[in-house]
Amino acid sequence: MKNGKTSQLMQKYSIFFVLLVMIIASTMMNPSFMSTRNMTNIAVQLAVATILAYGEMVLIVSGLLDLSAGAVLALAGVLSVSVYKSTGNMAMAFAVAIGVSVVFNMINALFVANFGLPAFIVTLATQMAARGLALLYTSGQNILQIGDYAFWGQGKIAGFLPVPVIFMIVATIIISYIMNQTRLGRSFYAIGGNEEAANASGINVIKSKYMAFLINGILVGIAGVLFMARVNAGLPNGAVGYEMEGLTAAIVGGTSFSGGIGTTSGTLIGSFIIGCLNNIMNLQGVDSYIQQVVKGIIIVGAVLYDVRFKNKKAPKVILKKKDEEEKKDDAPKAEAGA
Amino acid sequence: MKKFLASILVMAMAATALTGCGGSEPAAESGDGYKVAYIARAQSDSFAAWLANEMIRAAGEYEDITLDVFDGQADDAKENAAIENAIANGYDAIIVQPNNGEAQRPYVEQVVAAGIVAITTNSRIAGIEGASSVDADPYVQAQVNAEKAIEQVPEGAKVVVLRGPSGNFHADERLKAWNEVFFAARPDVQIVGDDYANWNKDEAMTLMEDWTLAHGKIDAVISMNDNMAAGALEVVKDNPEFDDMLAYGVDGTAEACLLIQDGLMTSTCLQSAIDLADLNMATVHKLLTGEETQIDTDIDAVLINADNVAEYVEMYKANGQITE
Amino acid sequence: MGSDVKLRVQGIEKSFPGVKALDKVNFAVRKGTVHALCGENGAGKSTLMKIINGIYKPDAGEIYVDENPVKIKDPIMARSLGIAMIAQELNFVPEMSVEENLFLGRLPADGMGRVNWREVRQKTEELLKNEGLPYKPTEKLKMLTTSDIQMLEIMKAISNDASIVVMDEPTSSITQKEVELLFKKIDILKAKGCAIVYISHKMDEVFRIADDITVFRDGTVVKSMRAEETNIDEVIALMVGRKMENVYPKEDLEIGEPLLEVKDLKSGQLFEDVTFHVNRGEIVGFAGLVGAGRTETMRCLFGLDPIDGGTVKVSGKEINIKKVSDATGAGMVMLSEDRRRYGIIPMRSVKENASLSALEKFFYGGRHHKQEEVDVVKKYFDKMSVKTPTLETPIKSLSGGNQQKVLLAKWMMRDPDVLILDEPTRGIDVGAKFEIYKLMTETAKAGKAVVMVSSELPELIGMCDRIYVMCEGHIAGELKRDEFSQEAIMMYATGTHNIIQD
Repeated sequence: MKNGKTSQLMQKYSIFFVLLVMIIASTMMNPSFMSTRNMTNIAVQLAVATILAYGEMVLIVSGLLDLSAGAVLALAGVLSVSVYKSTGNMAMAFAVAIGVSVVFNMINALFVANFGLPAFIVTLATQMAARGLALLYTSGQNILQIGDYAFWGQGKIAGFLPVPVIFMIVATIIISYIMNQTRLGRSFYAIGGNEEAANASGINVIKSKYMAFLINGILVGIAGVLFMARVNAGLPNGAVGYEMEGLTAAIVGGTSFSGGIGTTSGTLIGSFIIGCLNNIMNLQGVDSYIQQVVKGIIIVGAVLYDVRFKNKKAPKVILKKKDEEEKKDDAPKAEAGA
Repeated sequence: MKKFLASILVMAMAATALTGCGGSEPAAESGDGYKVAYIARAQSDSFAAWLANEMIRAAGEYEDITLDVFDGQADDAKENAAIENAIANGYDAIIVQPNNGEAQRPYVEQVVAAGIVAITTNSRIAGIEGASSVDADPYVQAQVNAEKAIEQVPEGAKVVVLRGPSGNFHADERLKAWNEVFFAARPDVQIVGDDYANWNKDEAMTLMEDWTLAHGKIDAVISMNDNMAAGALEVVKDNPEFDDMLAYGVDGTAEACLLIQDGLMTSTCLQSAIDLADLNMATVHKLLTGEETQIDTDIDAVLINADNVAEYVEMYKANGQITE
Repeated sequence: MGSDVKLRVQGIEKSFPGVKALDKVNFAVRKGTVHALCGENGAGKSTLMKIINGIYKPDAGEIYVDENPVKIKDPIMARSLGIAMIAQELNFVPEMSVEENLFLGRLPADGMGRVNWREVRQKTEELLKNEGLPYKPTEKLKMLTTSDIQMLEIMKAISNDASIVVMDEPTSSITQKEVELLFKKIDILKAKGCAIVYISHKMDEVFRIADDITVFRDGTVVKSMRAEETNIDEVIALMVGRKMENVYPKEDLEIGEPLLEVKDLKSGQLFEDVTFHVNRGEIVGFAGLVGAGRTETMRCLFGLDPIDGGTVKVSGKEINIKKVSDATGAGMVMLSEDRRRYGIIPMRSVKENASLSALEKFFYGGRHHKQEEVDVVKKYFDKMSVKTPTLETPIKSLSGGNQQKVLLAKWMMRDPDVLILDEPTRGIDVGAKFEIYKLMTETAKAGKAVVMVSSELPELIGMCDRIYVMCEGHIAGELKRDEFSQEAIMMYATGTHNIIQD
């Protein structure tokens, strides 16, 4: 059993290694990279994208996808801000943001799970609808003077721990728990890996899809509050394309687009790889166009890694080994054979 | 499956149409009165959305004008299609807010060729024979800020520049004015950060966070719009080290007025959708009634700073964008 | 063997990192003969065939065609040497039409690259007509049954003017009738002087058509011999390296009260009036031609497809089956016929695949009890002799037989009352087959009911207490153990029984 764990660790380790190399290189380039303030900056900048990335990871692992995350975030956010402005009740503001986002995700789930439409098309449609509603509701204007709402995006607990980072940490723990410690997590991997086989094994595929969208909905709703609070306004045009940031982080972090593979820790590292990359390029004053080229190369590299190593047909045992050999030998890594 | 897809598309179209019309009434079929089409750049752009709303309001003040608003969805092909449709639908006048001036030029020329009154606005497409234009000049809008900045920005200052989307006409014109008016006159000023924040507050925040860390104190933020200036200010607002930092924007949004009132932002230039809409309707009315045949006009570029900000805060209070 | 040797391989060696797949392999195929390769899965037969087809390069050794040394770089070169391969896995594009699939990669085109569709259509129609397949050339391949697709694959290879034809398990998913058709084709090919390499686990087929037999074990050739000089027992003994006492470990058990009772089951256009029962301690077989409704019946029973009418009772209690969990909740489990489609989650570990249907045993009290999962999975793997490098190995990298045993372990973990097995031994080696038969016997011994759907009559006859034969969506007949014979089953299955009686 030993070498399976070793190779698994190697896989996890290698993506972590990429981040480590990047951190070391960045520190050498610019000493202030490692400063507490910069680390805090990076964490805050990444909080919203990471929370969205978790939602995308859960969905992609389950063989689904959400292209509406950015738009639903904006709609949930502006409605939440305006509820807060009129009531001053933050609990209600959170409830509205999460509620709106969950409703949209349940609509996604209905069309995807019950009617069998591809998630790509359905969420593209909800993306348009949600963005349209956000603009309609605000007449395209930013909502200003949101008062203490901004605390949830800019405030710090105990004087140093930014609120969005706390949300990110809690989300990391909860998502990691769901994916590793619950039956639901196992069914996500199963339905994304082979839906028909999962169904034939007694997994409730439809319910699992609803749950995946539900989790995404809650995350997107929370991200909506954090985003609007951070920018200290209700921006109906905000967070355009944020679903792509989340998707990218998940994929860079080793989530397989074909479903069935992906981890919380990988997604977190993927998000930090992109975040650190952005950060060091800004610190060094790298030209914006070059930044985009570099990001493109990193993403292709990550997907290449994904395809070449993660999806590689695993070793096939051709020669049967004697039991004692099996115990001490390492697993044969072979091309798909025989 | 196909039926579902179709119904989703219909729903999506309905949603787009809803936002697109901005609540305007359908074109009146009556023989008297003028039918005017306004083709907006994008309803998802907050200034364009504001302008569209003001256009509807301003049109309401003319009994003989019926206005329909169409959404170009920030897409040349869609905007051009909207212009062609308006020609085909027999409007008496078509006002075009270009997405990208040169891309719409041949279509505005078609409007003129069809004998329909053509106006380009915000920003104008210059030099179309027979077409009129109403604009707020983006160059001038930045220029009024830049002229003040020459005196305000301290010797040897470290400044950062926040750009709008690359290739955007307004973004490019505003930057051009800053370069020609300010940076040319002040070679001592050092640009420590210069990047695209694409009109977005959150992108400007991320850039500013990284810049303040890399370069310490920054003396001035030169932003191509108010949204991005507000983002930069959001980052440093609680940091006493940045108390005397200067910040310039353009647009004169409600948020910028509040920031100027609070002493955080230095100045902006009002691009008043109200003025622009009023001037557009006055122009289209003159052209339709035959009072004049060709007009090129601009609204004033009004500098808003601590001296006159109270007036504009009142204006935004009146339209509900600012509350007490 | 003299100058009539068409294909010879000499001293072929092939290693994959950590594994020696082939070790100094020699063998030769004569013109106009069928040379059968026997061996358990993983013995190296398919690796050798892939080398001959240019998919793998050998580490050492030579290949001779017509006694001329050749280096086969890729499948295209293999094709130009007259080598045609009928793969074990079907290589078809489901969304493309029959004609497009048939001519995939070799569409006739003119100098400009324009495809001559008229020629394609004409040739396809001709082929379909000759084979008696009721499909249009424009029909999408996904509309065809597995056995028809297999026939197409065979036709495609043969229509290539090949002089060496490699068939890797060609009969694993075709009906008896089509097997006869295939054998006729092989006779024609032999007469034309083709050399045929035939890989199969089905000993009766091998002995029917093979002229020569070579047995592989653990990457080496154990023995090459003339078919008439050996017998089934010897070949099996050579394959497994030990003497097989009995191919079918059937025991006579005491039959208890009815456990599964199905009455007048009906589903749309698929089947109707299906009534049968299975008693405790009984192994009941379902025979019939492919497409007779056996798999469809089991799928409905297991909640995979909707039931339109009829009743299902387990232990005398009527159950309403709408989804899989209704069936598993009542103590039923089913091993699907299509392992890749309905069985494995390819990229997940063998452990996760094994525990998938019994998750509640390892996830309770708000957390995952990892060690319990490992222990239980290990226990079942030991019981079923699953061979896997580690518990974390993705299941897709196991051999078919081992995958099947993992899936069986998955279902046995639920401790089922009714075990339904749909083609459980398809495409797996003799050793794994034997393990599965043993498990069936043990399950019956524990007072449970076992249902086996199979197209292999010998195993049905060898393992079952009773056999139901289905024909065109109905149960055509029921046979008791003393009435078993291939002829009796085939008569019911082909619907000729009634005609004779009338």
